[in-house]
Amino acid sequence: MNALRRRFQPEQIRELVLIALIFGIILFFGTQIENYFSPRTFTRISTSVAVVAIVAVGQTLVILTRNIDLSVGSIVGFTAYVVGTILSRNNDIPPVMVVLLAVAMGAAMGALNGLLVAYGRVPAIIVTLGTLALYRTILVEISGANSVLTNELPRWLVNLPPVNVFHLGDLDIRLLFFIALVVVVLFQFIASYAAWGRRLYAIGSNPDAARVAGFPAQRIVFTAFILSGALAGLAGFVFLARFGNITVVAGQGVELQSVAAAVVGGVNINGGLGSPFGAFLGAILIDVIDNSLIRWLAISEFWRDALLGLLILLAVATDTVIMNRLRKAWSRHELQISGSETSAEKGGAHHAA
Amino acid sequence: MRKTNIVILSMLLIFSMLLAACAPAVAPAPAAPAADATEPAATEPAAAEATGEGVPMVLMPKFLGILVFDQAYQGALEAHKELGNPAELQFLGPTPENSVAGQIEILTNATTQGVKAIMISNNAGDQIAPAAKAAREAGMTVVTWDSPIPSAEGEQVFVAQVDFNETGKVMADMARNILGEDGGKFAVLSASPDAANQNAWIAALQETLKDPAYANLELLDIVYGNDQSEDSYNQALALVDKYPDMELIMAPTTVGIAAAAKAMQDEGLCDQVKVSGLGLPAEMVEFTLNGCAPQFALWSFVDLGYLSYYVAYKLATGELQGVEGETFEAGRMGTYTIEKDPTRDAGLRVLMGPFTVYDASNVEAASK
Repeated sequence: MNALRRRFQPEQIRELVLIALIFGIILFFGTQIENYFSPRTFTRISTSVAVVAIVAVGQTLVILTRNIDLSVGSIVGFTAYVVGTILSRNNDIPPVMVVLLAVAMGAAMGALNGLLVAYGRVPAIIVTLGTLALYRTILVEISGANSVLTNELPRWLVNLPPVNVFHLGDLDIRLLFFIALVVVVLFQFIASYAAWGRRLYAIGSNPDAARVAGFPAQRIVFTAFILSGALAGLAGFVFLARFGNITVVAGQGVELQSVAAAVVGGVNINGGLGSPFGAFLGAILIDVIDNSLIRWLAISEFWRDALLGLLILLAVATDTVIMNRLRKAWSRHELQISGSETSAEKGGAHHAA
Repeated sequence: MRKTNIVILSMLLIFSMLLAACAPAVAPAPAAPAADATEPAATEPAAAEATGEGVPMVLMPKFLGILVFDQAYQGALEAHKELGNPAELQFLGPTPENSVAGQIEILTNATTQGVKAIMISNNAGDQIAPAAKAAREAGMTVVTWDSPIPSAEGEQVFVAQVDFNETGKVMADMARNILGEDGGKFAVLSASPDAANQNAWIAALQETLKDPAYANLELLDIVYGNDQSEDSYNQALALVDKYPDMELIMAPTTVGIAAAAKAMQDEGLCDQVKVSGLGLPAEMVEFTLNGCAPQFALWSFVDLGYLSYYVAYKLATGELQGVEGETFEAGRMGTYTIEKDPTRDAGLRVLMGPFTVYDASNVEAASK
């Protein structure tokens, strides 16, 4: 037991609990829905989670610093639309350039948020609510009521969603889902091991202490917003590839879905706790519930949203109860250790909160 | 020593009260930029005064940025020039996320700013009725098009794109054409559960299916994609999973039909499940040519805007009174009659019609 305590932090156990929850829900729906245990279900969920998963990772970086980015929905729609429009006028732009363009466009919009929050000292919720409306309105104005049309896009883009990267047994790993996986792994690594990533936690746990310790807090918050915007831009590209026809309402509501995924995934809304991988699990949990409910004949269309909300609440509540128990157990244990031994083998931002 | 402590304490107290007092003042701020951002569309051109003999008019879509509404504006502009109205025709609409409140706000503002006639594609249900009634009392002409005010309160005439009952028949006919003589099973993918026009069309479809001529068509389910690509795409795939013997998805919404067709194409299901419904040729041309959506229908939004303008202008100038049985000329479109709206107890309508059915033979020309 002690060895176990030493090896795992409560936050890691939280992720295990989330995985267990996801499997529990899958097992339940497996008994309810015909043909549920099939590679097809995996494909359905993995492809539909890609956009929100990518945005949720960026959202996590921002929430870790005790901020929030509500403008991501508009950034997703804006990049999907503008990149789509540019592409339909010029089909020969190489794919790599297209992705870079989407990411750069998102980063620029994120930079405006970051500038106002980090250097202008305006609360993030106000700044990003403003830019949420601002970016959407600019999009509506420049669109001239035209849509991006599937048949004007280059073939490689329209045919991207069914492309497989590799197979895991019977399971197809689609390219768009693979992009999301790469994003999650990359940022999980940065958040856990890179100095910049650890400072996100420090700033979110205790902004004053971080300032006193001499962290360039403003620059780090600024960069977090740029990355959140850049990832929303990448998600905009995935959105464009998946749906082809893009209207000005594209990506509406993604901002709340990404916040929900992060919070369900154990990212503390007050900053300093959580991880990109947790947010990824949160996105999957919500998507599994959502995609299963629309296939469950026992539930009517009108109750689905309410039930989805209820299940998310239940999941989070269960999670919180378990986590509180665990944290208490861990801190008791730490007291015992520090009482008997002088050396403390831990530290780290996990425990700062 | 104790005195300084008390001073510090009281300063802290005052400071915290100041903070507390400031907090609520800051909190409403998020609404401000949001409202500002949506505002320019609504206010800037509305200052136009009623000039001379002209009739200042407003065409209001459900929200800005959707192609079909812009087409309706083109039609209305055509009529505007034809009738030589010296006043301004404005195209004012809310932004997508602010549709209901924005429509009511624009209507209320128009009433106070000298606008003489407004044409509304209502997206606010009966919530807009009080504002519409106030506009009527202020002497404004209120015409709805595309989507009416359900209770018909505050509205003089609804310019209906097609007969809602005919929509049901057109959908049933397309289903029969696609599924063949033997018929088959299909499902409906609609917009939102409370979209008045979609619900009326689906009800008409169900009514049509009772006819023995359509006995071999079976409607399995009605699901809602909320006119969002993601929801519609997921719902279409869920239908395929739920009903392995389903052969057709009928989507009476332009967003839904395109998303469903893309989903079938992405998952290689086009041979198994076809898509049909109401769609825009430009958005559907790819799927019609490759067989995913062999047939779909729509009316002309340009004509709808043109006809709406004629109705509103003639009502505003007193040429029409807005009573049942009146007939009038609408330029290039010919003669129309104001009649009782069979789908709403209290409403009057002008029926435009008819449908154009698109397939591989005519979709390319129409998509240009």
